[in-house]
Amino acid sequence: MPEIHSDIGPDYLRDESRKTGTADSISFPLNEAEIADAVRWAAANGQCITTQGARTGLTGGAVPSGGHILNLSRMKTITDRDDLIVQPGVTLDEIRAHLKSRGNVFFAPDPTETTATIGGMASCNASGARSFRYGATRESILAARLVLADGDVIALCRGQCMATGRNFRLKTESGRVIEGDLPSYTTPAIKTASGYFVRDSMDLLDLFIGSEGTLGIFSELHLKLQPWPASVWGVMAFFGKEPDALAFVHAVRGLKDKPASIEFFDSCSLNLLRSHRLEGAPEVPADYHTAVYVEYHAADEDEASGMVERMCEALDGCGGSEDRTWIATDDHERERIRLFRHALPEAVNSLIDERRKTDPAITKLGTDMAVPDDRLDELMALYHASLERLGLEYVIFGHIGSNHVHVNILPRTVKQFEQGKAQYLEWADAVIRMGGTVSAEHGIGKLKTPFLLKMMGARGIEDMRRLKRLFDPQCRLNPGNLFAC
Amino acid sequence: MHVVVCIKQVPDTSDVKINPETNTLIREGVQSIINPFDENALEIALVLKDTQGAKVTVITMGPPQAESALRECLARGADEVVLVSDRAFAGSDTLATSYTLARAIETLDKPDLILFGKQAIDGDTAQVGPGVAELLDMPVITYIRRVEVAEGKLKVERVFEDGYEKMEVPLPAVLTILKEANVPRMASLKGRMKAKKAEIAMLSAAAIQADPERVGLKGSPTKVVRIFTPPKKTGGIRIDGTHPLEAARTLVEKLREQKVI
Repeated sequence: MPEIHSDIGPDYLRDESRKTGTADSISFPLNEAEIADAVRWAAANGQCITTQGARTGLTGGAVPSGGHILNLSRMKTITDRDDLIVQPGVTLDEIRAHLKSRGNVFFAPDPTETTATIGGMASCNASGARSFRYGATRESILAARLVLADGDVIALCRGQCMATGRNFRLKTESGRVIEGDLPSYTTPAIKTASGYFVRDSMDLLDLFIGSEGTLGIFSELHLKLQPWPASVWGVMAFFGKEPDALAFVHAVRGLKDKPASIEFFDSCSLNLLRSHRLEGAPEVPADYHTAVYVEYHAADEDEASGMVERMCEALDGCGGSEDRTWIATDDHERERIRLFRHALPEAVNSLIDERRKTDPAITKLGTDMAVPDDRLDELMALYHASLERLGLEYVIFGHIGSNHVHVNILPRTVKQFEQGKAQYLEWADAVIRMGGTVSAEHGIGKLKTPFLLKMMGARGIEDMRRLKRLFDPQCRLNPGNLFAC
Repeated sequence: MHVVVCIKQVPDTSDVKINPETNTLIREGVQSIINPFDENALEIALVLKDTQGAKVTVITMGPPQAESALRECLARGADEVVLVSDRAFAGSDTLATSYTLARAIETLDKPDLILFGKQAIDGDTAQVGPGVAELLDMPVITYIRRVEVAEGKLKVERVFEDGYEKMEVPLPAVLTILKEANVPRMASLKGRMKAKKAEIAMLSAAAIQADPERVGLKGSPTKVVRIFTPPKKTGGIRIDGTHPLEAARTLVEKLREQKVI
């Protein structure tokens, strides 16, 4: 049994969303048995549980709403197999450092926040730029163990526990059978981190990945590793206008070589990068308007070179030019491009921090929505039109390969902040009409539940709630995430 | 106008490891890069190419694998590159290197301007630029952050710790360039593809008619007695920064105790 502390440091009451909650107690289990003990203790004392990792989430998923905090950040064991078995408190940085000694493999998911824990990443199905080729965290999980609301444990191995149509049946380690129906909706076949993942005859492991800790608590994860590509070539192509850049994105997606990532920087982003360049990053010439970054992973130089040559044809046909395109073929040059790209979120944060000094009610407004491939141009046009109409300052950048760009509104006043918030809700309606998702990688947490309701409808939410009750009848696990219990 | 840029390929020392037994650099797995200050020198040359149509030749003395650094320069826009390479050059100190580079430069079209980075990040001597200038009997100005060429004259800014001076010199001249001079450009895709296919010109000891007594170990009066890692500093006081106000108070207290303030 882990020690139950009633003295809770203020940091444990909030996460990166800046939302703050309340709690009565906190514990720091070190293994699966301790998680189960803590869960049983909470059940016996009528306490709900909020599970935490590194609290790097942006949607308040780890912010407690009363009860007990189960903080898994001290569960840090890593076990080498052909792949990797980790406890949920291991961070992405720690996984990368560990794999450095193995040399020839890597763990593909690459969210920007590398201090995130793997438990948190699995819970919200986090992803980063390279998910375009390698998928989100979901695609890199081979198996998992979870502690349920009553302290029982289930072990799930990819491919071994499937639903039959919409019906499922699971056996816990104690021999108890949990069975029932999956929700009736089908999760769209786009990059998404919105609500329970549901498909016909699905792998039941996928039901738990992205469920934001509402069905069970990950106590162990078996991670898939990828062979490290011998050649990684990054190309930053610049265009004179945005439609050319979008045409290039479509063209690159149509090629036979799948890039690891396709990233986008609109003209406002490039302007902000001109004034917030990090030491070591290259300078952007004044007449470059929009940029698209494409990264290719290949087995050797020749293969990489072939991929880039084929990409050149697409570039020439879309108003790009090989003269106005940067290329990085080694670590040193790629690091310069990384510095260039990473300056953007930092620049946004420092601008917002500056504005909060005059009005603390202002925060960053960042969207996380994605649409199907054929709706990309429509979505981009919509974003620009509404932002220009309202006269708001903004940047648009991100994972355009998956039609998933982040609009960051940079309000100067509280009025602009409110206007931006209202606009965000309107966009969500449009995105849903296009068959898109309200969250592609950050998850829903507590902050985006109104968006999930819009996307799923009352029926979809009720379906999820019904499923949750099969695993957690008293709604003890992460109440308030995804939907109100 | 002909600008010659002298570069050196160096290990990327941002991730350097020392073998604790031999006290030498572990080179396995360490990427080779263009000496960062030389990138600034190259950038100055490329700007002169962009604005004045200068011809840019990059030259390096090194082992055959230094070819990759030259290809990078071609990719960024250099017109020609020359690899000065011969087993006879092995073990060269700064004097022998200066001699070898000077001889190699004499085989090229007469340069109007020769550029070096202020120093190489592996040896940190800052001697080769001035050495070459001396051997070629050209004026040299070190620690340059700004270069302008107009009417056959060179206007430069030379930086000191407490200020800078503006100087005007006739061409030809040799300059050594600081990091703050500019931000080196990225290679363009077009340049990279062209560089990939380019033939790299090689100059051997015979080709530059080097005096065998003045190159390599023989021509190097510098003798390395011992290379060692300086012992880590120990002791000192670390002030916890969790509470900034308290930390500042402690710091002021300590500084007062030491009579620093």
